[in-house]
Amino acid sequence: MGEDGASHSSTPVPRHPTFAHMQRILLAVIGVIGAGAWGVLALHRGETINAAWLVLASVGTYLVAYRIYSRFLAYRVFGLDNRRATPAERLNNGRDYIPTQRWVLFGHHFAAIAGAGPLVGPVLAAQFGYLPGVIWIVFGVVLGGAVQDFIILWGSMRRDGKSLGQMAKEEIGPLTGLVAMVAILAIMVILLAVLALVVVNALKDSPWGVFTILCTIPIALLMGFWMKVWRPGQTMEASVVGVALLMLALVGGNWVSHSPTLAPLFRHDGLTIAWALIIYGFAASVLPVWMLLLPRDYLSTFMKIGTIALLAIGLLIVLPPLQMPAVTRFIDGTGPVFAGKLFPFVFITIACGAISGFHALVSSGTTPKMIRQEGDARFIGYGGMLMESFVAVMALCAATALEPGVYFAINAPLAALGDTAATAAEAVRNWGFALTPERMTSLAAAVGETTLIGRTGGATSLAVGMAYIFSGVLGQGLMAFWYHFAIMFEALFILTTLDAGSRVGRFMVQELGAHLWKPLGRTSWYPSIIIASAAVVGGWGYFLVQGVLDPLGGINSLWPLFGISNQLLAAVALCVGTTLLIKSGRARYAWVTLLPLAWLLTVTMTAGYQKIFSPEPRLGFLSHARAIAGQIAGGTIDPTKGARIIVNDRLDAAVAAIFMVITVVLVIASLREWMAVARGRKPAVSTETTFVESAYV
Amino acid sequence: MSEKGRRGGEAEGRGLLAAVRRVLGMPDYQAYLAHLQAHHPGCPMPTEREYFDEFVRARYSGGPTRCC
Repeated sequence: MGEDGASHSSTPVPRHPTFAHMQRILLAVIGVIGAGAWGVLALHRGETINAAWLVLASVGTYLVAYRIYSRFLAYRVFGLDNRRATPAERLNNGRDYIPTQRWVLFGHHFAAIAGAGPLVGPVLAAQFGYLPGVIWIVFGVVLGGAVQDFIILWGSMRRDGKSLGQMAKEEIGPLTGLVAMVAILAIMVILLAVLALVVVNALKDSPWGVFTILCTIPIALLMGFWMKVWRPGQTMEASVVGVALLMLALVGGNWVSHSPTLAPLFRHDGLTIAWALIIYGFAASVLPVWMLLLPRDYLSTFMKIGTIALLAIGLLIVLPPLQMPAVTRFIDGTGPVFAGKLFPFVFITIACGAISGFHALVSSGTTPKMIRQEGDARFIGYGGMLMESFVAVMALCAATALEPGVYFAINAPLAALGDTAATAAEAVRNWGFALTPERMTSLAAAVGETTLIGRTGGATSLAVGMAYIFSGVLGQGLMAFWYHFAIMFEALFILTTLDAGSRVGRFMVQELGAHLWKPLGRTSWYPSIIIASAAVVGGWGYFLVQGVLDPLGGINSLWPLFGISNQLLAAVALCVGTTLLIKSGRARYAWVTLLPLAWLLTVTMTAGYQKIFSPEPRLGFLSHARAIAGQIAGGTIDPTKGARIIVNDRLDAAVAAIFMVITVVLVIASLREWMAVARGRKPAVSTETTFVESAYV
Repeated sequence: MSEKGRRGGEAEGRGLLAAVRRVLGMPDYQAYLAHLQAHHPGCPMPTEREYFDEFVRARYSGGPTRCC
């Protein structure tokens, strides 16, 4: 990856003929290896298969796609030109517009886009087996996700770093801009709720986990005062100290979990932890950034990059056999982890890693203002997303390396498993997977937990999978430590998303609120801060609490909503991208975005329709509400509890419907704009900034 | 122009620590001073504390950032 770029002009000319020749041969070899690995994956019908095949197939495809398709996009479609000065060069202010070496910017961009999404989605989708997930992750990214990130980065870079919302407004119309903003806010609420639920499920009844995560708050405060008050600006120093303290907290958690007096203090049920997160989210949104948000941001970025690197190394050393079948019987929609058939739900469950609309916000945020030369955008935009996709493949490997019985006992809801190891093993055996109750109790003991049954949300099974991989490299004795390391790492950066997301959401509510009442738009006016923060935190907090109380496990309804909303944002980004292409006279290449757009619309609309109207109560929100109404009439459920579930089902159905309506409105608005340009009613005027010669060439 | 360009790129090449800072999204006071000296010689230099405050504000407000 990244074999060229610095020396490119608009038409790539090989620097040395024999070198180019060698590269072609190498590429052909990589292509053959990758294709061979896909063949092995597709045809293999044995007991287990090694994770190496997944790694080879995906990396082979990435390299070929990067070399051929991203080059086509970069030079044929976008016309990247190193002679053209980037915003970073022209507007260099030493702060946000700042020319940055491409490997450094790659790291910066990757750290910004990679979150919990690519880790959780593939783990949940593993209920279909490893094959559907890996096919969608790899082909989705090379034809969809990486194209989206790249085109938005290109569009923003050519417009002085404009945001997605601004581009939607200027290119398609003011209505689209407003709709895009509402969509982003709605997605944020659902995203934060579901991520918080993942943390709750990983931390409930776990004194070790709760203690470690609680410690991150004083650690962050200490770092904040260090950077702001005692040693102004010394962020690196404070972060290194913070990471060291975090490791101490992790070790301390073990000690706490074994102390008969302290352990009960840190053992809490899901609802208590949910409320604690809501209070924390509100505090983080209202307090000054430097106190909590900034230090936690650094702490989690450190951990994120370090742990992902460790996971990659561990995976390549251990190369575990994948015990999950290639395709399970649950593709028929009866799976316990989430309801719905392979089509469309594998494409909804795995959003990040294949295509993630959220990236469009980063690709039109800080990154376009830091690109040193236009040619770098290919490596950063397209290459950065390939890297995230590989994280998703690793998560899939970690989950499918577990015995299927263990995977389902962790990821199915308690309602399906029962409360004890014996009932869980029985349920899992009825689904056709081997499991003994002793296996679950000994595994829980090995990772320092009382139980692992019914910990939905993916984080727990991923942590067990990661603990296997790490202890495979560094010794079996540390299994519990590695498990809690993985939990801490996941919870830490999910909580950072919660902080940052609540704050960004607060700004958006304030901006939207200003349309209703001017003073609400004053971002540093305390009443406005408190009202807007309460609105955002209350929004995701509501869905979180309902998710914790949900008899089907919460993840079952919230994760698909998140997937649909994230794909919707991707559809917005692809509409904007298509418009950029058409208006800048590149209509003949519009298929590069129209193709993934058509696919996304197909899967989101199908999934949305099924989530609302499916007659199967596990899948359809409305039929679930009817089923509960029947139970109330039959006296088999407490009427108050039943009524609450019905309200919630209807609300979820309404949210799905709103997402679908927003998508339709956006697509129609875009289509009208495209037709207007195609029929000559509107001139195809490019809104790119004018060419300025770069000094770097 | 080419002289200016080379100077603009100077801040990025200052070793591993600066690179790590940039990846993590940390402020880099020395680089900013170097930038000001190169591009805006007459401009008053902020203290490290002022620079940090402004950096944090810019990073999380999403609002426009001013020059100097």
